[in-house]
Amino acid sequence: MSNPKKGELRAHMNKGSLEEQIADYIVANQDNHYRLAYSYVKNVDDALDIVQDSIYKAISAKDSLKDSSYLKTWFYRILINSALDFLRKHKKIVVIDEETMSGLDSGTIDKYQNLDLQRALDELPDYYRSIIVLRYFEDLKIKEVAEILDVNINTVKTHLYKALKTLRIQMQDED
Amino acid sequence: MKDKNLDELKKKYLETPIPSQLDFVVKKALQESRAAAAKKKRFNRARIAAASIAAALVILIVGVNTSPAFAQTLSKVPVVGSIVRVITLREYKVNEGQYMADIKVPEIQGMENKTLENSLNEKYLAENKELYEQFMAEMKAMEEKGGGHKGVSSSYEVKTDNDTIFSVCRSILTIEGSSNTELKYDTIDKKKQVLISLPSLFKDDSYVDVISNNIISQMREEMKSDEGKIYWLDDQVEDVPIEPFEQISKDQNFYINTEGKLVISFNKYDIAPGCMGTPEFVIPTEVISDLLVGDEYVR
Repeated sequence: MSNPKKGELRAHMNKGSLEEQIADYIVANQDNHYRLAYSYVKNVDDALDIVQDSIYKAISAKDSLKDSSYLKTWFYRILINSALDFLRKHKKIVVIDEETMSGLDSGTIDKYQNLDLQRALDELPDYYRSIIVLRYFEDLKIKEVAEILDVNINTVKTHLYKALKTLRIQMQDED
Repeated sequence: MKDKNLDELKKKYLETPIPSQLDFVVKKALQESRAAAAKKKRFNRARIAAASIAAALVILIVGVNTSPAFAQTLSKVPVVGSIVRVITLREYKVNEGQYMADIKVPEIQGMENKTLENSLNEKYLAENKELYEQFMAEMKAMEEKGGGHKGVSSSYEVKTDNDTIFSVCRSILTIEGSSNTELKYDTIDKKKQVLISLPSLFKDDSYVDVISNNIISQMREEMKSDEGKIYWLDDQVEDVPIEPFEQISKDQNFYINTEGKLVISFNKYDIAPGCMGTPEFVIPTEVISDLLVGDEYVR
């Protein structure tokens, strides 16, 4: 590789070792990872902790990633497991004060027309919520969701349907 | 699959505010976990070494009893282990959202040469104090200009701790947009209780060229066998406005590893793109053996 042009030079830099690829991927997608963590714990500090934990786990278990084409689903799986672990350890009771309650109750015009829907989503069991978040918010393929949650594709489809039904959202054909 | 409700939920999801600390948290976690992974590898090797020492002990016991010559050789082996160690003297932590600092001040203990011990410890304290004050000043300046992001983390690691050598590495990680890592080393002769400098290992200055040439050939070798690697050598930087690596400085960062090999270390960006981290090169002893003052440290 004598005389590489700038573009080639960059391409070379990007290849790197597996650990390097993992690190690059983590930095490039940190916002997505944070949002996903936050969707579980709804708290900035806890979400940051989960992102941090996941990075430690990923680097120390990098040998478990056999093929770098699975990098994304592999890391999402670590991230979601960390978030679920966290929730198990810190079983939280959501306390809503009276003011907020009456705010929710009032028939006044609210810019969050979908507050009920948001709450319905938040109240879904973690597993079902994960499917919705990964499939529709993170735009992953059904196959990828199945890999992350370690279930087969048909199971994901069935559960996705069930989750959407609970949210009373009309689903069209999923393939 | 299009649904107005789902779209709205997605919109809200994507609007989750990203905290400014995220960048720092991610970079720090990556740096620490990667350092720990590298250390674990070394540790595994150390365990193998420990097992072979245990095996050697059994042979020694037999040896002392059977051979007077063997017993005589043995008496020259220092038995008492070293007690020089390094601890965290104090830690400065700042966590102000966009501004984060985690500064650990190391302190060396257990040296007989208290003058050297004190001078090293004073240096560590002064360095870290300066780092902290600089951080606070820059934080204030940024704040006055309307805010910014900055992270500083300093830590240390014992590289070698055997009968003769105690090498400690201090690293400073600064994050401002991109991250930078600066390393500094101190290597102490525990027997003589003196600080070892790079020039003091050699008879004259010719080591600069010899080591530099060896490093350059190691770089070429690495780049040939692994396409992902890149170092700034003259033929690599023709189209890029970067100074190519030509030679090490006289007092280049170095340490002596547990195998008694000289290791030359570089800061991030010094000789390679940032993705190469902080490169280091083990110099084969045969390359420099003619230039060494003795084989006491480097073997």
